[in-house]
Parts: sequence; C-alpha cells; structure tokens
Amino acid sequence: MSEPFEPKITAFVCTYCTYAGADLAGTSRLKYAPNVRIIRLPCTGRISPMFILKALQKGADGILISGCHPGDCHFTHGNYHARRRWMVFRALLAFTGIPEERIKYSWISAAEGLKFADLINSITEDIRKLGPFDQYHKLIEETQAPASL
Amino acid sequence: MSIEQLYRTRAKELLSSGEVKMVIGYGAGSNKERRRPLFITSAEECDKLVLDSACISNLSGYLLTEGLLSDEKRVAVFLRPEGVRALNVLAAEAQLDTAQIVIIGFDSPKGELKALEGSSVEEFTALITALKEITPETAGEEQLAKIEKMSPEERFLFWQEEFSKCIKCYACRQACPMCYCRRCIVDSNQPQWVNTSSHTLGNFEWNIVRAFHLSGRCVECGNCDRACPVNIPLRLINRKMAEEVLNSFNHFAGTSKTQEPVLASFKKDDSETFIL
Amino acid sequence: MTKILFADKLDSCVERWRSAGMTVIGPVQRTNSSMYDAVKSASELDLNLVLADRSIKELFFPQSEPMLRYNITKSEINTSEFLPPSGPRIIFGARACDASGLAIDDPLFGWDYKDEYWFQRRNESVIVTIACTKADEFCMCTSLKLAPDSTKGSDILLRPLENNKGWQVEELTDRGREAFKKVADLLQEGSDPAAATVSVPEKFDADACAEWLKNPENFNSHFWKEISLRCIGCGSCTYLCPTCHCFDIQDEGGSFEGIRRKNWDSCSFALFTMHTSGHNPRSTQSARWRQRIMHKFNYFPGKFSANSCSGCGRCTRECPVDMGITETLQEISKLSQ
Repeated sequence: MSEPFEPKITAFVCTYCTYAGADLAGTSRLKYAPNVRIIRLPCTGRISPMFILKALQKGADGILISGCHPGDCHFTHGNYHARRRWMVFRALLAFTGIPEERIKYSWISAAEGLKFADLINSITEDIRKLGPFDQYHKLIEETQAPASL
Repeated sequence: MSIEQLYRTRAKELLSSGEVKMVIGYGAGSNKERRRPLFITSAEECDKLVLDSACISNLSGYLLTEGLLSDEKRVAVFLRPEGVRALNVLAAEAQLDTAQIVIIGFDSPKGELKALEGSSVEEFTALITALKEITPETAGEEQLAKIEKMSPEERFLFWQEEFSKCIKCYACRQACPMCYCRRCIVDSNQPQWVNTSSHTLGNFEWNIVRAFHLSGRCVECGNCDRACPVNIPLRLINRKMAEEVLNSFNHFAGTSKTQEPVLASFKKDDSETFIL
Repeated sequence: MTKILFADKLDSCVERWRSAGMTVIGPVQRTNSSMYDAVKSASELDLNLVLADRSIKELFFPQSEPMLRYNITKSEINTSEFLPPSGPRIIFGARACDASGLAIDDPLFGWDYKDEYWFQRRNESVIVTIACTKADEFCMCTSLKLAPDSTKGSDILLRPLENNKGWQVEELTDRGREAFKKVADLLQEGSDPAAATVSVPEKFDADACAEWLKNPENFNSHFWKEISLRCIGCGSCTYLCPTCHCFDIQDEGGSFEGIRRKNWDSCSFALFTMHTSGHNPRSTQSARWRQRIMHKFNYFPGKFSANSCSGCGRCTRECPVDMGITETLQEISKLSQ
C-alpha cells in the first residue's frame, strides 16, 4: 500500500440543524475535507447505536454524530434523549475496547456552516493521525475468508 | 419450621384458597447442585417445592409467558431481591400488572437462606433502595478492575477472545427477563441488522447491542451469565453498564413500578462534556 | 500382546503428524470453556475432560461457513465458490459419543445431495477416540445402545491403561492405520492391561420411547406441554449437540456484493418455522421441543434407521433450566409402560 491513508468518516446528522449547517457550508463555498459521507436523518433521536456499529462494520474509520443544540430540537426533545443514549453507548464502547476517540459528537445548528466545515477538517485530521481502524478491519477480513478448520 | 416448609405451606394456602392460580418456584434438579423452575397449580404438588441457597435463577421472566397473566388471575412467584427489581422494571415498561403477582421473597446472602417479608412489590421498596449502595457479590469486581486498567487495545483483545466463542444460541437473551421483545433485533431481517453468522465481528455486534438494550434495565440477576454455554462473562458488561447509569444519571433499575426508564427519559442538564 | 501408545510418546506423535502436514486437533481448555481445537503440541491437550463443552461437529460443520461470494455489475453477475479448506487432520482424544454423532449424521449429509463441505472434511479426518474411564451423571450413551468404547465413527480406538501410562491401540479403519503407520516406531508391543471403561447406567428404554413417539395419538399429548413448560427457547442444546444439523443460508452484504453463508439454525427458535405471512406452524415452545424429540427419535430413525442422538448428554449438562433429552425420554419411558 503506497497510497497515503485517507480516513473514511460517516456522519449521521439531523436534517433540521446539522444537515442544514452542512448545506450552508456548501452554499457559502467553504472547503472541507472530502472524507466525510453524510447520512441525513430526521432527528438525532433517530440515530440508533446500531447505525454506528454498522458503519464501523462496513469499514468506517471514524464517525460523526451531530444534531441540534439543546433546546433547538424540531421535535422539542429528540436530542435530549439521544444525548443520554450516547453517554451510555460511549461507556459501553470504551469497555469493549472500541476506541471512543473515533466517534465524535457535536451540536451544529443551521447557521453554523463554518463550524461544520472546521469540524470536518479537524475530525479528518484526528482520524488520519489515529490511522485506519485496523482492529475492525481485521475482523471484517476474517468474515470473508474460509473458516480455518 | 424451615423456610422451605414455611413457604410450601404458604404456597398450599395460596393455591387452595384460590388466591393464585399458579405458583412458580423451584424443584429438585438433575443433580444435587441443580434446581429447576417448577410450575405448580394444585396444593398437593406443593411438597415438590425446594428452597435453598442453590435456587439462584431469576424466575420473573416466566411471568411474561404468553397468555399466563391475560386472564387477570394472580400468580405467585419465588423471587430474590433482583427478581423483585425485575418485576418493577417490567411493570414500569407496561409488561405486566404487579397487582397480579404475589411475591414469595427470599435471599441467601453469603449462602445463608432467609425469608423476605412482603408479598407485593411496594413492600420491598426499602430493601431495594438499600441495595443501591451495595455491589452485588457476583459482580466480579476484581476482574472488572483488571479490565478497566487495560489499554483500549487490550480490552478489545480480551473481548475479542471472549466473543469469538459466542455461538449465537441466544441463551443469554432467552434467559433474561428483560428480553421480552416479540421480535428481537436479531430476528429482524428487513434489514438484517445483526448478522446471524457467529463470526467474531457479528458476535461483537450482538453482544454490544444486547448490553446496550439492557443498560439501565438490567437488575444483575445473572441469568444470562449462567445460561451462556460457552461461559462468556456477561456479568462484567452488565455490571459496567449498571455502574454507568448509576454514576451518570443516578439510576438504579427497578426501585419502583413507576420508575421512568433511564433511556426513555432525560434531564435538560444531563452531562454533555463529550459533545463538541 | 497389543500395540501400546505410551503417554510420554504422545508429544513425538503430535510432532510427527504435524510434520507430515496433518493438523492435529483435540480437546482443549479455552477461557472458561472447552472445545476441540487445533494444537501445536500434546501439552495443550486436555485428555482428562469427561467431555468438551462444545461438540466435535463444529470441526465438520462449522457454526458459520462461507459458501460463495457474489457481485453484480451492470453487465454481469459474478459468483465465486468457497470450497471447504482441505488438508489432512487427525482428531486425537475424541469421545465415543462425539465420534458416533458424526457417523449418525453421515447418511443425512449424503442422502439426496452430497454435502461436499461435510464429506471433504470427513474424508480428510482421522478420528482417534479414547474410551471413557469416567463419566458424569448426564452421560447416557448406553441408553442409546452405544457405549463408552463404541467404535462407531472412529478410525482408531484407544483404551487407557490401568496404570494410566498410555493407551492400547485398536486400529479400526484403513485411514486410521495409515495415520498410525507414521508413528509406528513410537508404539510398543506390550501386555499392560487396559483400565475398565466406566459403567454408564441405562436411563431410559429408547425402543419403548420410539414406539410411544410413533403412535399418532401421542403427538397431541398434554405431556409435551408439561415437560417443556420451563423451556426458555434458547438454542444451546441444539448448538452443543453433536448430531443436530439444521442450518440456514444467509446472504451477508448488500444488493451488489456479498457473501452467502451457511449458519447453524435451531428448531428451538420461534423464527425457525416462521412464515413470511407471520403464521408460525410451531407457535409454542412445547411444539418446538416436541419437534426436537420427534426428529431425533422418530422421524430420523424412520429415514436413516438410527436415532439422531449419541447420548453425550450436553443438552442436559448445559441447559440453563435443567431440561434435556434424558428427562423427556425417562418420562416417555414411564408413559409407555
């Protein structure tokens, strides 16, 4: 492998705030790292931890989860519920040894196009430094290979 | 009179007076160390009931057997404090009406059998609240401390080794009173969220999802851990998650039948130091 | 005088087989659980186990096995097959029940369609069984007309010596002889007596049970519900069973590429018989437990003239609620009197 490592980052975002923020970054012609794949959801409350596991299982090196600031949720409290879940989920991932620094959480409003662009850039750099998520990549490979016995 | 005798008599009274239609208790197992769940519907059979410190499984899950409580008749069940907590969680999640349940309570701290006063969940509130401060004997604190000292890579390797043994028989799920979903996420195939394959990657996924779904609901009865045919130390994950919800949200599962489920509620000032 | 393999020569044997390109497999202790697995030296083997927690079938019929890889492009559909990994293997220290289990499943996997995954592994494996000198209360091979020293399914039978220093060697098949030829110089002629095999009490009358099960009236007997009230519907009995062989074929991946895998499945699961419509012909756990018993002791013998059970007792040993085949057949024996 001579090509430099380009991290794959999956971003799960809520449509009302962060997605609109990403849109603003685009219409404002702000440049940001092309490593992110955005998946738009109705609300952070809709982001099942299963999504995160699946993304990692399909080869993501980093994850971003982002939605409305507290108090701004279109559904009044979807993001409060999500926040509790993340808290617990982070502890679980840490305990099973899945590096928590690969999974980032943020609040980005529809007006924060600049914050979005900056965050994507900084996350991309962070994940680039961490390198590919080898632990999982190895397990993924194992699922494709014939059983050893 | 021994506690066993006392409770046999109580079961007889409950059945012959018609107060309950069934007593769920323990009977002799296939060897000296084993006890098996027993379902008794007539007073004559009550002498088959066994009660001693080897009666460890949490029987509360059987209350959700399809159709058992749908006729609004009452059922008596032998429960340890964790079992009573499980009842509270199930009631809080609208899975059963505790008015239909007559508790026959017992415990065996340090192997010594004792009877617990009370027959309705409310009477156990003080006892359960006191448990909040105590780490269960079976929690495996030592091993937990060892794992917490590991680097993330070492922890990953530890669980990789453990989960690689998983054969996806789902005994952990079936043994758990909290796993009552009609259709578990692993049974959903459109989309297939969790692979049915028991390769290590799929096993990681299943075990993480299981633990997450039980966070803040698990009462640490140990049913899953004992049921696992390949002895994956599930109690460690359960303990860790119980600690997490206690520290972060001051939540102790099953203190009352009206307790709000921790992951279906929130506070505006919940901690969010990790959010950018 | 018989051929004897002394225990202190076992390590050299393992080395010899390994250097001849054979994978040496045997009962080993892994973290908190025992299983048959590949070893590098004899010291890794745990030959004192009554029986490994997990059965030998995993070596022939793994819990998850890739069958083919597919990808779909605009112009074509490509598939490439995975064939079972090949290479000779020697399984040292199997138990008679496990080895018999394989022989029980052979006709099934070769009946209308020859399962190459199974047979390639079967043909390349030498099974060296050690007769049991100890048993636990769950062992029930004798109730199934087998014994702690049954030769069914084995290529070599070893009988432990009374002095515990090795084993008498009984060569049963050409494949076994071939493998032991490689270590012929490590064996000795001797007259050391073999230890008595353990006596496993008969727990039920399998013939009487079969008769009872064949009677159509008993299909709807209330007995099934009573015996399985406490069954929680996990699949551990089926997954640990050396003869249970049900599987499901699953495609893992997306619409355009993925892998087709053969995964274990269990008649204990509600999903096993669930129809697309939502109707489930085996809607209760008692119907599922009945199916398991009927399959093993009525349908399977009807087709292949042998019970689909070798009496290892793992179903009871590992059952979270202390159920199992033994208790059910004991109760049926009583009913059939």
